[in-house]
Amino acid sequence: MSTTPAGAETLIDCQNVWKIFGANAEAAMQAVIVRNATKKDVLQEFGCVVGVSGASLEVRRGEIFCIMGLSGSGKSTLIRLLNRLIEPTGGKVFVKGRELAALKAAELREMRSRHIGMVFQSVALLPNRSVLDNAAFGLEVRGVARAERSAVAAQALAKVGLSDWLTRYPSELSGGMQQRVGLARALAADPEIILMDEPFSALDPLIRRQLQDEFRQLTKSLGKSAVFITHDLDEAIRIGDRIAIMKDGVIIQIGTSEEIILAPADDYVADFVAGISRLHLIKAHSVMESLEACRRADPGLDPAELLTTTPEADIDELIDLTMRSTRDGLAVVDNGAVVGVVTTRGLLRGVKGGRGDAAAR
Amino acid sequence: MDLSAFVSAFDAAVEASLQWIGDHGQRFFDGVRAALEAAYGAAHWLALALPAAAVALILAALGWRALGPRFGLLTGAALLACAAMDLWPQTMSTLALVATATLLALVVAIPLGVAAGFMPKLDRWLEPVLDLVQTLPPYIYLLPAIALLGYGPATALMATFIVAAPPAIRLTSLGIRMTPKEFIELGEASGMTGWQMFAKIRLPFALPSIMAGVNQSLMMAFGMVVIAGIVGSGGLGETIYKAIRTLDVAKSIDAAIAIVILTIVLDRLTQSASAAGEGRAR
Repeated sequence: MSTTPAGAETLIDCQNVWKIFGANAEAAMQAVIVRNATKKDVLQEFGCVVGVSGASLEVRRGEIFCIMGLSGSGKSTLIRLLNRLIEPTGGKVFVKGRELAALKAAELREMRSRHIGMVFQSVALLPNRSVLDNAAFGLEVRGVARAERSAVAAQALAKVGLSDWLTRYPSELSGGMQQRVGLARALAADPEIILMDEPFSALDPLIRRQLQDEFRQLTKSLGKSAVFITHDLDEAIRIGDRIAIMKDGVIIQIGTSEEIILAPADDYVADFVAGISRLHLIKAHSVMESLEACRRADPGLDPAELLTTTPEADIDELIDLTMRSTRDGLAVVDNGAVVGVVTTRGLLRGVKGGRGDAAAR
Repeated sequence: MDLSAFVSAFDAAVEASLQWIGDHGQRFFDGVRAALEAAYGAAHWLALALPAAAVALILAALGWRALGPRFGLLTGAALLACAAMDLWPQTMSTLALVATATLLALVVAIPLGVAAGFMPKLDRWLEPVLDLVQTLPPYIYLLPAIALLGYGPATALMATFIVAAPPAIRLTSLGIRMTPKEFIELGEASGMTGWQMFAKIRLPFALPSIMAGVNQSLMMAFGMVVIAGIVGSGGLGETIYKAIRTLDVAKSIDAAIAIVILTIVLDRLTQSASAAGEGRAR
């Protein structure tokens, strides 16, 4: 699923960021730094609530980065720290190499209007403006002339399939269409980064699935990067190249969906991923065993007699192949060489969420 | 200290200060009076420039457009009835007074309301002042006004202004404060300047509330303009006041009907204007 080169440029760099809410936030922050005060201490001694504690993450160019957490996990606070809608109490946020906290008001406005778009759960379409004028909103703020911004907004609306609705008003649109306008509004301003704050949570499941796929495809084809907040792990897996899992303001684990499912960082994450189907998430390279290990178990094994597959084939494909095969085992071929064997046992282990032979990796 | 002595000292102080203001601000208040009378004179001239039938036709057409044929026809007929009762000049004087006073009130109240909407501190200060202005019996404002501006329409305008301004201030401030949070966030995330946020987000959302304030101010102005008949405002208020003094019940009822007609017509027209604003904002 990961389509982002690991060496890509870092667009957002969040370093040990804290957000403590309350009148004594500064003092509470000091207590956390100096004597490692816990969330409970902060609440009892300072009457402050810890929203985000020590979050560090990097978002690379071209990547869709999902932040998954239940309500109250601090994910909405975290995303607002990324465009400084909320000021961090501690730590630093860099966007395109510039520290947000150091920007002057005008520079921050410039950063928000040109480089970071945002899409809201509530959509927030202006009710007194047509769909076209709503989509052109960001450009209007930037002072682009009417003819030009209308043309750009119309293009953005075409990308989300709303070309026939330009002159309508938001109240005439369904929830899914409204959210498409919200996305078009963000795209029209042509930012590198789009922050998505639970954009599809209020939609019904079918429309949500459709929008998830469209969003992923659109973001990839336009080469945008996105930070996508969700409380739904299925959604995070469907959309995200990498996923951060948050609980109580802390990022517990960051990784690709495969990494998180195969090696959950703790019981909380393990519980979460327990219900997720592995069929499309786990790949041959994770469940295969080395050729030597197989030879030890079955000295007569000849990989040339096995059906072949690739390291990126998912479990679903591997099961189909195994059922067509007359022998136990599939040869995993990479660059013309057999790199491992997927046995029925390995396959079953993969379905259960475990790894294959560790030595083969 | 004897309490009655204290009270009479208080009364004397009030009178002395009013006297002092009158003496020292004579030229200022003469200027105010001239300006108010000029504004009223212009509005009055405008209202009487056209024949009664033409004014009735214009308002009927406005009513038809805004609220449909039934209201339009009724408006026309009702205004012609005012003319038929031989009260046309008085009706137009009252219209001119109400329009001038409301306009003056709005010119002050809307900017003040916007400022209060942005500054919670100012709002906290204004709140008790507006409470006071709105709870005192409206007659009270006639006395200092008459002392400073003399008998006539200028005093009526000043007193009406004081009574008409508070609802517009309150509702404008409320409208500005009530901007939905998600739209403030949208504005900030889009990189809006403070002015853009005001003009493109706060004001459009506040408009229905502001228009409700305009309507309320207008209604308060109507109430006060009739009372101001006592100080020689001219118009229907004075007609009623004179009729009461001579116990001319029939005449006072005629004038009252004319006031009701004028009030209902303007109330419905401004309400439909604010509803139209709200409809677009939904």
